[in-house]
Amino acid sequence: MRLRPAFLAACLLLVGRGILSAQDRRITERLDPVTADAVQHLVDSARTAGLPAEPLVQKALEGSTLGAGGDRIRAAVSVLFAQLSRARAALGTSASDAEVTAAAGALRAGVPADTLQHLRALRSGRSLVVPISVLADLVAEGTPLDRAYQSVFDLARDGRPDDDFLALRRREVRQAVGAPDPADAQAPKPAPDPPAKP
Amino acid sequence: MTSFRADPPEPDDETLRRVVAELRRPVPLGPGIDQRALAAIRAGRDQTASRPRRWWLGAAAAMAALAASLLLVVRHANPPAATGREREVVLRLVAPASSAVVVVGDFNDWSPVATPLQPTASGEWTVRLDLRPGRYRYTFLVDGREWKSDPAEPPAPDNDYGPPTSVLTVT
Amino acid sequence: MARYRSALGRYALHMLGNREDAEEALQDGFVRAYWALATCRDPQRFGAWLFRIVVNRCRTVRRRRRPDDRAAVLPDDLPTRGGDVSEALGWREEISRALARLRPHYREAFLLRYVEGMDYDEISRLTGAKEPAIRMRVKRAGDQLRELLRDVISS
Repeated sequence: MRLRPAFLAACLLLVGRGILSAQDRRITERLDPVTADAVQHLVDSARTAGLPAEPLVQKALEGSTLGAGGDRIRAAVSVLFAQLSRARAALGTSASDAEVTAAAGALRAGVPADTLQHLRALRSGRSLVVPISVLADLVAEGTPLDRAYQSVFDLARDGRPDDDFLALRRREVRQAVGAPDPADAQAPKPAPDPPAKP
Repeated sequence: MTSFRADPPEPDDETLRRVVAELRRPVPLGPGIDQRALAAIRAGRDQTASRPRRWWLGAAAAMAALAASLLLVVRHANPPAATGREREVVLRLVAPASSAVVVVGDFNDWSPVATPLQPTASGEWTVRLDLRPGRYRYTFLVDGREWKSDPAEPPAPDNDYGPPTSVLTVT
Repeated sequence: MARYRSALGRYALHMLGNREDAEEALQDGFVRAYWALATCRDPQRFGAWLFRIVVNRCRTVRRRRRPDDRAAVLPDDLPTRGGDVSEALGWREEISRALARLRPHYREAFLLRYVEGMDYDEISRLTGAKEPAIRMRVKRAGDQLRELLRDVISS
């Protein structure tokens, strides 16, 4: 008896999925079966597509801890999967998982994909994780978009280290809340004016 | 499969070695343990031996799905977006009237028991973490009831579930 | 912390012999651990501290059992090869049955020593028994398990 092609294909799919989906026990132990199955499927798809899978697991675990229902968890993980896909498309196959993850957060915050591509071009050869993260944080906190982009682009163009990007974020946050920057308090005080000569 | 120790002792006897090898195999328990435990924590109850054996069914039924996990499976827990050497990070929360503060986040699988903060005399709670460079989302759980973001770090832009979360970037 | 959770569940299941009791002990232990977190001053000993809580919970759950819930406990003057050794039972089930027939203190010491890999002084601190007593319990547990399983292995 010859096996029908569709049957063979189905068998291969099942076997393939079985090989790929080494079930993450964190998912099966902390989520209801329907949600766990859906999340595991997305995790497997991410691995197949060359996307970072761990952020998806963490998003599901977060929902579990914070009391979200299965529907909400599935939706959040699905959205993140889509963002990771877009981030990978924006940064290219050479981008690291960490960069793709940071970029997904930036897209979520409202940073356009072409902005990320521009940042990549400015910072070629160096990690994009911190610049992208800072850009996402600035946008999420309400910093005017053009100012956020320009500030980050300037640092990237100048080849500044990661700490400078973090310092930018701290300054912007303090300005946003009206708090003084501790760095200012540590700046040397100007020398007093010499006494007026009699 | 890890034991409490990475290199547990082996019995001298072949039979006992086979027994021990079998006993060391993982034994997954029910998925509801953590959820029910957190339900009890939020209810502020302390479990005593005198309680009826199935008391937790009522607690679980009364609780929305606020699950917590202590675990798990180190071989699956890859650090999120992490490369490079670990760096020490100190998280702080001022909560002088609180009796328990923990942090949950990407670095501990969002477990509400894994990473407790320690109180100081000034009413500040602190914990030291060793994290690889990367971006981590997290929040604090105070007295098992209240979620609080970290006032020292930016709010996380991708807040999908309601309670406030923060984001930490480690270079 | 992640590595302890799996070990704790395994210990509770082997100690109590059934999933329901193990889940109750584990869950109860987690709740107690949460509220007692501030008392754990030494992060290096967090695992042992957590283990002690779960070991005590297991003892409590075990003592609450009805007498007919307990498997027959073997006297000190083993060995015996009697009893039914069903060829239909798997190796794991045979081990579970053998474990259940040990005195609780012997079972506890054996599991903590060989399955969870604790040092004798650590087990002594955790259980409150002196180290020579722990060593004796581990040895007797091993002797009894060997005898109980001899027929299974040879068949």
